[in-house]
Amino acid sequence: MAEEKVLDIENLTIRTQRGRTLVDGISLHLYKGEVLGVVGESGSGKTLTAKTILNLLPENLSWEADRFAVLGADYLTLGKKDTKALVGQKIGYVPQNTGSYLHPMIRIKDQIIDGYLRYTKNNRGEALERARELVKAVGIRDTERLLKSYPWQLSGGMRQRVNIAMALMNQPRLIVADEPTTALDSTIQMQVLDLLKTVNDLYETPVILVSHDLGLVKYYCERIVVMYAGQIMEAATVEQVFSNPKHPYTRALIKVIPSLNIKKGERLAEIPGQLNAVGTAGGGCAFKERCSFRQEACEYTIREKTVADNHYYRCNLDF
Amino acid sequence: MLSYIYKRTSNAVQVLLFVSIITFAVLQWIPGDAAQLILGSEATPENLARLRTALGLDRPWYIQYWHWLKGLVQFDLGRSYVFGQDVVTLIQQRLPVTISIAVFSMLIASTIAIVLGILAAIRKNTMVDYLATGIMQLGSAVPAFWLGMLMIVYFGLELKWFPVSGYVPPDRGLGGYLNSIAMPSIVLAIGEVGMLLRTVRTSMLEALGQDFMDMAKAKGLSSFTIYFKYALRSAMIAPINVMGLQFAKLVGGTVVVESVFGLPGVGRLILVAVEQRDVFLLQGLVMFVTALVILISLLVDIAVMFINPRIRIEMQGE
Repeated sequence: MAEEKVLDIENLTIRTQRGRTLVDGISLHLYKGEVLGVVGESGSGKTLTAKTILNLLPENLSWEADRFAVLGADYLTLGKKDTKALVGQKIGYVPQNTGSYLHPMIRIKDQIIDGYLRYTKNNRGEALERARELVKAVGIRDTERLLKSYPWQLSGGMRQRVNIAMALMNQPRLIVADEPTTALDSTIQMQVLDLLKTVNDLYETPVILVSHDLGLVKYYCERIVVMYAGQIMEAATVEQVFSNPKHPYTRALIKVIPSLNIKKGERLAEIPGQLNAVGTAGGGCAFKERCSFRQEACEYTIREKTVADNHYYRCNLDF
Repeated sequence: MLSYIYKRTSNAVQVLLFVSIITFAVLQWIPGDAAQLILGSEATPENLARLRTALGLDRPWYIQYWHWLKGLVQFDLGRSYVFGQDVVTLIQQRLPVTISIAVFSMLIASTIAIVLGILAAIRKNTMVDYLATGIMQLGSAVPAFWLGMLMIVYFGLELKWFPVSGYVPPDRGLGGYLNSIAMPSIVLAIGEVGMLLRTVRTSMLEALGQDFMDMAKAKGLSSFTIYFKYALRSAMIAPINVMGLQFAKLVGGTVVVESVFGLPGVGRLILVAVEQRDVFLLQGLVMFVTALVILISLLVDIAVMFINPRIRIEMQGE
């Protein structure tokens, strides 16, 4: 694989206006053709990280980084307008499936083509032709009817297909999928992710797949980044994460993946405790309150390690 | 769609019927009948009796009500005894004045409110936003009669830009017409703009926080498209409703402003009817204003229906 860095983020920190840290010095790298899973609970900072890449961070939050290069463009020096144009032209955004990401009062066809018309010289007819092709490609049969519909006339799965088709309109060089399968049936979840994987295989478009579901994501990614309380706990290939998890949190996540042969009345496994606020670790480990392997050292110090083949983790223990 | 309009219309008829009963009953109960008022306290009992017979006041109340109602259905609102003319004629003479200042003040108020409301929402907590907040408070705090008098003194008497009072119909020169309604329209607009501005700003802020705005930004659309195609479209429903209510209120008569500027409008007619105890005129005017308000709110609802595809399509009913 060509080692071209699509995403090169070093030491990204996101803070609120009052100085509370939400994402605490994370580094992310994504290479051409790769699918990177970013996994963590709600509040782990994974969505904020994705929003920073999309230039969608809310105004009351600010970010800083040592390096923030997306598709070769450096966000740290890129102007506001150019960043917006870069995101619109080269990044496809597949949002959470809540339906609220499509405007309820605008027909699908007008929403699907407006970003395309902005960044190509093609006319409306050509844009609609491309929309038709893509909508068909994402598995919608009655394309004409779909294009004429309003979002609330569609099912959740249909809407997410529309979102994917819309993300593909400008032939993106990066796809950011932020919890793309939330609130979908599990069969539809697989279909949506299969679709993203197909796009990835076909066009070698790199994908960042943000999800809380490690069990689902593992089938679609090459590498996985496990986030907790705004920090990266572990980052490695899927095989490494599942065959040789180094961080107790990753182990806990693997353990809570529900298996199919669960017995009736049996409780689903869970990780005890709650996600603590980011930045309360006080130099120690962010996961210490919930960790069953906690040692005294975890209170005030943490070790970052990288072992064989870029397997990164942040823990005082060695498994 | 048609069934909706039918439902709303039959609803409106019921409301009108109810209002007619109340109006009739209230004016029956107040002391002194129309004949007494027309002839004055010096009238002889014979003359009074003769006039009562002529006006139909000697008949039972339900017959009187029935006759009045029958007239209403035929757009006969009765006859004013102060003016000695049909109420419909009186309204026809005065309605253009009231409609003119209502339309112009709404045009002024909504232009300011929409432009400033959008800017205030987009640039929240900046100078534009503070300016908007100032206008909101000023508009609702300053009494119309005082503002009107100030404008007469300054723009009318001092600068002589506009006539101090009176109304010039448009067929006697458009310039004169516009000049004669300019100041009253501005005074009314200042009274209306605050509420409307607040509504535009609030619903625009709500729209800006929606997820589809993130999507519009991620698509790299132009700011114009983002704010007007995406945000404003979903932010217009509440302001349109408010505009409808305000317009209905203005058309129903703007008593204070018409009085200050000496305009012969519907508001002044209502004032005369009340002052002179012109029962028939008052009855007719109440029914007219009620019908107008109901009609305008029906039109607003239909307009909103056309803007919101969800309601429109559900109305068509598959």
